[in-house]
Amino acid sequence: MSSTVAKAALRLGLVSALGLAACAPTTPAPTALPAATQAPEVSVINFVTDSDTNISDWIQNKVAPAFEAKYPQYDVQVTIVRGVGGGSGDVADRALAALQSNADPQVDVIEFDATSKPELIEAGLWQKLDSTTVPNASTLLSGIQTSEYSLPYRGSQVVLAYDSSKISEDEVPHTFAELVEWIKTNPGQFVYCRPDKGGSGGNFVTRAIYEVTGQDPSLFEKGTPNPDLVSQFPKAWDLLSEIHPAIFDNGAYPAGNTAVLTLLANGSVSMATAWSDQALQGLANGSLPPNIKLTQLTDLPFPGGNARLSVPRNSRNLQGALDFVNYLMGTDGQVSVVKDIGGFPAANWNTLPQELQQEYTTVIAETVPLWPGGDWDALKNQGWYENVATNIPMGS
Amino acid sequence: MTTRPIAPKTTNTVWPQRLKDHVLPYLLVAPPILLMTLLIFLPAGQAIVETVWIDGAVTVAEYIKFFQSPILTANLWFTFWITLATVGLLFVIGLPLSLYLRFARGRIAAAVQMLALFPLFVPGVILAYALIRAIGPHGLFDTLLHQIGIDGYVSPYLKPQGILIALVWQEIPFTVLVLTAGLRQVEDTMIESARDVGASDWQTFWRIIFPLIQRALVIVFSLNVIGTFGAFTIPYLLGPAQPMMMGVSMQQTFNNYMDRTGALTQAVLTFAFCAAVGVLYVRTVTRSPEGRP
Repeated sequence: MSSTVAKAALRLGLVSALGLAACAPTTPAPTALPAATQAPEVSVINFVTDSDTNISDWIQNKVAPAFEAKYPQYDVQVTIVRGVGGGSGDVADRALAALQSNADPQVDVIEFDATSKPELIEAGLWQKLDSTTVPNASTLLSGIQTSEYSLPYRGSQVVLAYDSSKISEDEVPHTFAELVEWIKTNPGQFVYCRPDKGGSGGNFVTRAIYEVTGQDPSLFEKGTPNPDLVSQFPKAWDLLSEIHPAIFDNGAYPAGNTAVLTLLANGSVSMATAWSDQALQGLANGSLPPNIKLTQLTDLPFPGGNARLSVPRNSRNLQGALDFVNYLMGTDGQVSVVKDIGGFPAANWNTLPQELQQEYTTVIAETVPLWPGGDWDALKNQGWYENVATNIPMGS
Repeated sequence: MTTRPIAPKTTNTVWPQRLKDHVLPYLLVAPPILLMTLLIFLPAGQAIVETVWIDGAVTVAEYIKFFQSPILTANLWFTFWITLATVGLLFVIGLPLSLYLRFARGRIAAAVQMLALFPLFVPGVILAYALIRAIGPHGLFDTLLHQIGIDGYVSPYLKPQGILIALVWQEIPFTVLVLTAGLRQVEDTMIESARDVGASDWQTFWRIIFPLIQRALVIVFSLNVIGTFGAFTIPYLLGPAQPMMMGVSMQQTFNNYMDRTGALTQAVLTFAFCAAVGVLYVRTVTRSPEGRP
């Protein structure tokens, strides 16, 4: 008897709690209960990402609380769609469907590169993100925004990692030509991974292609590879074949980024190409010894990549979405990118605190060359395997 | 039903019996056959068709392309070579080990058996990373040699030897299991009688044991060849960038060069070779041991 009474009481309590929540003038929120206890004007910003755990953890545990502390009127809800169907792409498709049917897209900010689905741009799904809508976008590094509908907010770039206990400061190469010279005079001491197995090797090969085509990454456009440029690839294969015998263990290429870092950490090689975030995190957690230092080429940096944010025009909390993007692009957000995830800022380094600039002075690059990928990658990888990694002469 | 009241007794006893004899067996084998058809024969058939039926005509152009490419033929020969060397080494190591385990008694033999079977429980990717740390450059082995004053260790990592060592280590348990099972069928009395008539150890092995374990040897040979020929994880992580084994080459062609038909052609060639060895296996296991002279 008493248990039924308790159940009835509980049900009553629940109903009243739900009723209260329903009365609260919040925007559609999946978590209605906590909203009831907060200030009534709190509005929810739905953030969707399909990035790796380190990124989703960072947004959830570091960025969102810091943002909410600064802007108490917002409540950031992080939804992780990593490994769920097409990830962020599916959510973007859903937002378009909502736009067409005038429904709630259930997403306000999405980690997604709008250019990866041109049809959504054509359908007019995305909000323009420039300094008129996101004031901090004015600090963006030049040349990294590829579409006005997506804002790059963090990056990763390939850098040169070297063992400072074996290589003196004045010996460190600063241009690609110097690096090639260094590799030849120090046989067995340099390594990069197979270009298809890790971006740290892939972007080394890309940099060699830039080198023989006049150091101008802007020539390489997305889509069908330009035959004029492709016809110059053999010059890059010649360059890489020239250093092939001087690569670690007479031309052995490991099958991934981490395999390269292992060789560098255990002293098998004294220089290698590495992703900036992997190297910085490795140095921070001790998997790379402190004598490993990072540097960037000064003639034309190694290429990299950026993660981008997009905002659907039909977001039910457009102002909140833009405020959140603006926060991530601001000094607080960008410092957190560098300090908490070892990422590269998307904002110009000179907008960041002095001491941070000094700490990373050796890897700071004014530009981040972007390799278009797609069919270009197929040609790059095939060319490398058939001409560089092998000593088999190419026949017909 | 009600029009045939006379026959219930016979149908009751005969029909279930028939069901048991004629329907049940087919029902029981239906799931595996369906699975085989849907998941193996159908896709394999489709793959073969896709490689020879291009732009509405039958052509072997893809195969000519394969055999004209020095890289791909090098990959094929490399795979043959690694497979032969691996299976050869497995016999050299596995046979003496199995003979020892068959005839030895006691704690040491039990310990050896444990060790020999241990790799069975280690996934390939773990094995590959463990080997990189153990026999890789500046790894455990290298460091130990350095400690006792031996320098100039050449690591097999990223070389064909790396694949060989890992594959042999991984396949030892299977080899030993099948060979010891084969050897247990050789009765002690036969060996004792051979000894009684003055046969040497070698004669006992060659004249008595070897003929009796041929079946086990063929099984070990064929299944190891098939397993090694299609290996992927170990050659991917431990082998050289070029040449590469067929498994790695296929993945490469499909994923990086986005050449589906090219990858299928390699798959069909690999499948054809493995199927030929598979026939040898099937013929061996379906032939009853009693049926042999």
